[in-house]
Amino acid sequence: MTRIMVAIGVICLWSATASAHHSFTAEFDINKPVKMSGTITMVRWPNPHGWIYIDVKGDDGKVVNWAFETAAANALYRRGTRPEDFPVGTQVTIDGFLARNGTPTATSGKLMFADGRAITIGAGAVAGEQK
Amino acid sequence: MRMPKVAMGLLLSVAAVTALSAQAVSRTTASAAIPRLADGRPDLQGIWQARSRAAYDVEDHPARFGMPAGRSVIDTLTIPYQPWAAMKQRENFEQRAKADPLVECFLPGVPRIMYMEHPFQIFQMRDAVAMTFEWQQVFRLIYTNGTGPSTPLQFWMGDSRGRWDGDTFVVDVTNHNDRTWFDMAGNFHSDALHVLERYTMLDADTIRYQATIEDPKVFTRPWTITVPLARQREMGRVLEYQCRAEMEEAKGDFKADPRTWYQDGSAPVPPLPSEPRSTTAAAPQGQIPRTADGKPEISGFTEADAGGANWGFEPHNEPFTPGGRGVLVDPKTGGLPYQPWARAEKQDRTTPGRGYDDPTAHCFAGGVPRSLYVPSPFYIIQTPAYVVILLERMSWRIIPLDGRAHLPDTIRLWQGDSLGRWDRDTLVVETKNLNGKTWLNEVGDVISHAATVIERFTPVSASLMQYEATVNDPVVFTRPWTIAMPLKRNPKGELLEVACLEDNQDLLHLKDVKERGIQ
Repeated sequence: MTRIMVAIGVICLWSATASAHHSFTAEFDINKPVKMSGTITMVRWPNPHGWIYIDVKGDDGKVVNWAFETAAANALYRRGTRPEDFPVGTQVTIDGFLARNGTPTATSGKLMFADGRAITIGAGAVAGEQK
Repeated sequence: MRMPKVAMGLLLSVAAVTALSAQAVSRTTASAAIPRLADGRPDLQGIWQARSRAAYDVEDHPARFGMPAGRSVIDTLTIPYQPWAAMKQRENFEQRAKADPLVECFLPGVPRIMYMEHPFQIFQMRDAVAMTFEWQQVFRLIYTNGTGPSTPLQFWMGDSRGRWDGDTFVVDVTNHNDRTWFDMAGNFHSDALHVLERYTMLDADTIRYQATIEDPKVFTRPWTITVPLARQREMGRVLEYQCRAEMEEAKGDFKADPRTWYQDGSAPVPPLPSEPRSTTAAAPQGQIPRTADGKPEISGFTEADAGGANWGFEPHNEPFTPGGRGVLVDPKTGGLPYQPWARAEKQDRTTPGRGYDDPTAHCFAGGVPRSLYVPSPFYIIQTPAYVVILLERMSWRIIPLDGRAHLPDTIRLWQGDSLGRWDRDTLVVETKNLNGKTWLNEVGDVISHAATVIERFTPVSASLMQYEATVNDPVVFTRPWTIAMPLKRNPKGELLEVACLEDNQDLLHLKDVKERGIQ
């Protein structure tokens, strides 16, 4: 399966978003970290959060479109990230945490391109960082 | 008939004098007719509302249910649509009961916000003009500092840059998205929209508002809306119509907690035992910029160095939540001085099912003091009579400095009723009339309608203010408490729009978690 459950230790290096308008612990499950690879099908760039959609092929060959929530468009913009940085069709790997409600939804941390470049699209906040 | 030279000369002199005095009178009348600021510019400040049926349909239209008949407000009488767009407008019209973005309380866009049947207030500084609207507490921040749009981003309300053309205030509005309409009749545009607005004072109580609309994707040529704005002299202040919050409450999608919100029969709020004293020393004279009247100059783009206050007032460092240094300065130990019921409620609010109950998850206004320490910047407008805080999350606080009394107890507002005064170099703001429906932060700290919030803004340098907020809420706490944090000013900063409820997918997830009891 493409989805890889990553070590709990990673959690300590990563935490939720700037510009949050809702409780992350209520919507997403800290005990369900994920890392998925797939192809970008759509990028939405609004506030209070943007969304990057990727087609992920499971071990059974079935393709599921996953929605990864990003930081607010304004927060990403002020960090220098642009929607054009994520062309549709690009192969990427995103890590994050699953939504509690069981839908193919997750909050995101880092997005990695095939050439090794990485962009923090979620919080980018390391636990303990002050906002 | 020949006239003697002397008589002719006399007549000419009289005529000249008469003409001159007529000119003088006319100039005096013109300048007396409209108020002006010290720099000679027309003073557009005050509370205004369009006098027009344009909000229903900008074209000539018969009466329909919920839509009185009205005359066209556009120069071409009808909108010069391209053929495909005329068909699309008819489709919009048929679907308007559901398709009008205002049905969902979304941001109305420009020019529509200008002629809706809701009042708004104009505040005027040298570098910026602000408009604060009753509808959803939306605002427009129009920079008048000679800059153009600083981003390629699209906004619901566009990007507004103003300049003066003689006595007319001209505003270039660009960077529109394609999701707003011109009226309830489905008249629409694309993201190629460009709006050029002209505000001309005809007399002290009337502004002629004109908006020239260009959109080569949708129209065959530019067209112009003209609507009079009438001064609302009897209206002491713009209050609020939080459309979405009212709608969700009416539908049962948001339930206020009867223990905290104001209702008839709520016990009267006791007065503060004593006004809190600031723990911050003000800057020595000369260290901070000042306005023409000698008050500290505090306007412009500002961000709280909030110490993680939106995730708790005490020091915290848990995974999945931004950390915080702790901002509670009184009491110094023991945390917030909760009454037992409120402490239990705060704990309950940290369970996943309660995430849905936080009003900011619904994109409602943050309340006071939370609006200032959510992780979004704000812009302060300062005039001799007002301090206005424009919050990037598309809400505002108007703080009059004229010594008026608070609103009647029965008027309860999401952002409360704030009154300000200068205490030497500190701006002291007292807020009452809160509705008790807000949370203090994402971890569920509790505040009720009974709260009085005293905020103190003390400039300590040109780029830094110290901020303190003391909350006295006898329904929730056993004693008053105070948080403090620095506010950082950035003269180069600009607000970006946060259209929140327009694309709020999180609420559906949170509702799911709540309704299914997911842990």
